[in-house]
Amino acid sequence: MNVRQHLAAATALCALAAPAGASATQLTSISAGFSPLRLGSPTALSLGFDVRTPDGSLPSSLTGISFHYPADLGIGTSGLGLATCAPAKLSFDGPQACPANSIMGRGSALAKFQVSPEVSEENAEIALVAGPPQHGYLKLLISATGAYPVQARIVMSTLLLPGQLQISVPLVPGLPEGPDVAVVRVQATIGGNLTYYERSHGKRVAYRPQGILLPKRCPPGGFHFRADFSFLDGSHSEAQAVVKCPR
Amino acid sequence: MKALLRCALVAAALSLATQPAAALAAHTTSVRDEGSLHFLSDEATLIVDEGSLSGTLPGSGRVYFTYNGSPNVTARFTIHAAGGNVYGAAKCRLNNPNNPTPSFRGALTIVGGSGRYAHARGSGELFGVFHRRGYGLVVQAIGKLSY
Repeated sequence: MNVRQHLAAATALCALAAPAGASATQLTSISAGFSPLRLGSPTALSLGFDVRTPDGSLPSSLTGISFHYPADLGIGTSGLGLATCAPAKLSFDGPQACPANSIMGRGSALAKFQVSPEVSEENAEIALVAGPPQHGYLKLLISATGAYPVQARIVMSTLLLPGQLQISVPLVPGLPEGPDVAVVRVQATIGGNLTYYERSHGKRVAYRPQGILLPKRCPPGGFHFRADFSFLDGSHSEAQAVVKCPR
Repeated sequence: MKALLRCALVAAALSLATQPAAALAAHTTSVRDEGSLHFLSDEATLIVDEGSLSGTLPGSGRVYFTYNGSPNVTARFTIHAAGGNVYGAAKCRLNNPNNPTPSFRGALTIVGGSGRYAHARGSGELFGVFHRRGYGLVVQAIGKLSY
């Protein structure tokens, strides 16, 4: 994937923040992109979101996200997640302890927490890992690993339903007596630069999994994405993004 | 000899095509066909495979296999047999989706055909294995066919 392809995908993004109601105290936006953005070809899907408040204060903690994406994206046919990782193993030992063929993507996150009167930040590495399937659906485990200033790892899980990801976000305690940690930014890519292994003529051979298959036709108006966010303070917010059709 | 046989099959097909429906459903046979199909093309969630088939109706087959992440997969298929084609569809359940070669199984329905199978009807089961890496399919169809 070259720089031009990255740019093509990035400039095709169009994110729109839309608080769901007057009571919403969090503003959210999402981003989505394909790299490469070429109809009928395998691609990597990047999804991201930002959470902020109008006055720049610490947002309420995120408790859930429902991501809606085009159901005709070939995630089931992507060849990603050819092995599984146990949630407990991922939680205790990290994604590096999981089979290479279970890694479905990577990303990063930014969390904020109150260290009165200051707001401190922590970066986390995101790993998207195939978990044991449930009811016949592929399960996606999402691990977020932070190293500094707090060493911590949380693991979330969601079923890869056609066109939908429903993620419950666990609360991460901040400092004693302080508010919970607030996730304010996540960027993750399903597919992309991954290395899988297969047996061929008795040897272990590395290969790059194909990735998500894009339809040959672009939907009217482009590929539509939507996310519904739920927060600890009871508020909800919705955001949308469209990846425009390539010319 | 082959030309004679071909003529005979064409004549039989034409003859069958002009008979009333009740008379056409005279043959009912048990069918068991299987084959390893190779990837032909895709359309995101739709995989098109084809290859040779062996069994009761030897010939070749093409399968349009749809897998969108749900365990409920569908397969439309055509069997190109001697004397005509058989068209069918199946609704299956895919197991172990993380396996490199998940299996699927479900009910199939023969919905029609062409040539000597122009009025084909039938039902049965479709078994298969989906190769997630190279998109190949191994399929086996077992059922009753009337034509």
